[in-house]
Amino acid sequence: MREAVLAVSPAAARIVRPRVMQWLTWLFFGGALLFAAIAALAGDVFFYRLATEALIFGGLSLAVDVLLGRTGLLPLGHALFFGLGAYVSGLVLKHWAPSLPLALAVVFVAALVTGVVAGIIAIRAKGVYFALISFGLAQVVSKVVFNTRELGASDGIIGIPVLTLGAGPLALDLGHAPTLFMVTLAFVGALYAVTAWLMDTPLGRLLSAVKANEHRVPFLGFDPWRVKLGGFTYSAIAAALSGALYPVLRGFVSPELLFFQVSVNAIINVIVGGTGTLIGALYGSVLLTGLKSVVGSFTAHHLIVIGLVFMASVVFFPRGLIGYAAPVLQRWLDYRAAQRSAR
Amino acid sequence: MTEFLNWLQFVLSPQMINGLSIGVAVILMALGLTIIFGLLDVINMAHGEFYALGAYVAVALLGLGLPFWWALALVPLAMLLVGYATERLLIQRVFDSKDRHTLTLLLTLGFGIVLEDVLKIFFGANPLRVETPVAGATEVVGLFFPNYRLFLMLFGGALIAAVWLIVFRTRLGAIVRAAAFDRHMAGSLGVPVARVYALTFAFGVALAGLSGVLLAPIYSVFPTMGRDFVLMAFSVVIVGGMGSIKGAVIAGLLLTQIQSISSLYISPVWSDPLLFGIMVLVLMWRPQGLFGRLGHA
Repeated sequence: MREAVLAVSPAAARIVRPRVMQWLTWLFFGGALLFAAIAALAGDVFFYRLATEALIFGGLSLAVDVLLGRTGLLPLGHALFFGLGAYVSGLVLKHWAPSLPLALAVVFVAALVTGVVAGIIAIRAKGVYFALISFGLAQVVSKVVFNTRELGASDGIIGIPVLTLGAGPLALDLGHAPTLFMVTLAFVGALYAVTAWLMDTPLGRLLSAVKANEHRVPFLGFDPWRVKLGGFTYSAIAAALSGALYPVLRGFVSPELLFFQVSVNAIINVIVGGTGTLIGALYGSVLLTGLKSVVGSFTAHHLIVIGLVFMASVVFFPRGLIGYAAPVLQRWLDYRAAQRSAR
Repeated sequence: MTEFLNWLQFVLSPQMINGLSIGVAVILMALGLTIIFGLLDVINMAHGEFYALGAYVAVALLGLGLPFWWALALVPLAMLLVGYATERLLIQRVFDSKDRHTLTLLLTLGFGIVLEDVLKIFFGANPLRVETPVAGATEVVGLFFPNYRLFLMLFGGALIAAVWLIVFRTRLGAIVRAAAFDRHMAGSLGVPVARVYALTFAFGVALAGLSGVLLAPIYSVFPTMGRDFVLMAFSVVIVGGMGSIKGAVIAGLLLTQIQSISSLYISPVWSDPLLFGIMVLVLMWRPQGLFGRLGHA
């Protein structure tokens, strides 16, 4: 129980076998498909766009969870990479070619380079210093972008064309809300699958080792610096790729995407959803986006509600939604399995 | 030669003196942050909001017809209560968990979000102005400076000296340093550690509120006024060393001087990246900052 509290503790991790996580993953994506079907029947656009946004920010939250939940680093400035992805994607789509695969490829390269550079700066600092350095990095970049006329300054980039994915009879019109939702869902699903797979590779195990006790990792013959840099860079890329979808959804990029609020929202999603559970980040994003939309329709001061929910989560439910739901669900699955075998 | 002297007198020195008046307020903020971290290990992410709250309490008191000087005296007292309550009701809840660095950071972050929105509800999002309590200007080295800025420098400088004296030259300060060095040993020697923690947190919050009041007549008062300012204070604390009082003062003077002098040559937009670059370089060279931690040096 050395680390614990914020993440699923090692003891709980033994109870939460992969099965229940798989179950929760299917539940999430199945639920998303069900939502898509209902919304399609209702002929809705607003909720499609809201859900697409929740998925996009879910991708960012997933990236944050890789660092916060799996590596034990608290990134207070991941909006930097999200915004980078959005800006690079916006520029490519507007000035180069309106092609999503091209934008994603360019964003990937840009995020790789930026992630390595920012990572080298940030992971020199340990613990809370890391949090503050990443906070400062994002703050400075957001201020520079906000004041750079070439990047549209406070207006951002507007007039990003509506995209078509693919060609011929199979072409997908991304201006069509349900199509974009399905494409985003597939993208986030792929991102989740890659992330979950990566956490099972030696790199993922080493990230957990760094979180548990960084000083012991060298005794196993591994360099914690490289492990952390690897984790940081992956997280940066995941955040930037999620950000790359934002201009496709909204048709514009604004400097607000780089602001502290975006980083904080991602952290809130992760903590409320369940730190270190990966799928919890997606649940958290959907939950918080929904809450914001509902509360926001009553009052302009929805931040109070979000802040209080977050504080209550930190104090009373530090393991988050999935952190508590998974063991319960696992017990129920075990019970059902036992009943079935007894029959 | 005369040209150089003129430059010194009419270009450089006004920048330096303006920088000094801001620097004093930044140091007060940074002292609050660094004392709280040095003793409690808490990164107070709501520090910028406490700064804003201090300014707003002053606005409210002025609205009741009280003179500025009353506000200057009452705001720190009010902020002491706010800080004490925050420590007892929020920080203490997660203080004994093993992840207290992260948890207290997140908790104060959430509290800051709530506080900012509460300020918006009570006072609106529009900037408010506070009248300068000391009108007029005084001639210093052949140049005129607003009296209020000069007052700010003297008053703030005296406060910083007072904090220094309290921490390093009084029995109270010795207790705080002892608790920072070894909380269990201090506790077994009869120091009421829990109360010392709460009061220290309150003290740090009061310093933030005080710099909010002091800067209110210079800048306007708005709910997000603390954001940029707290970033500056964080840079100061990181460069000077988290938990170091000497570091906060020296780094505070250094960084604000660099900021105001560099703004002669580069656009102010770039002064933040410049300061941040310095911060990164310091961290590369000395990850723990320039000076040692409270109670450890």
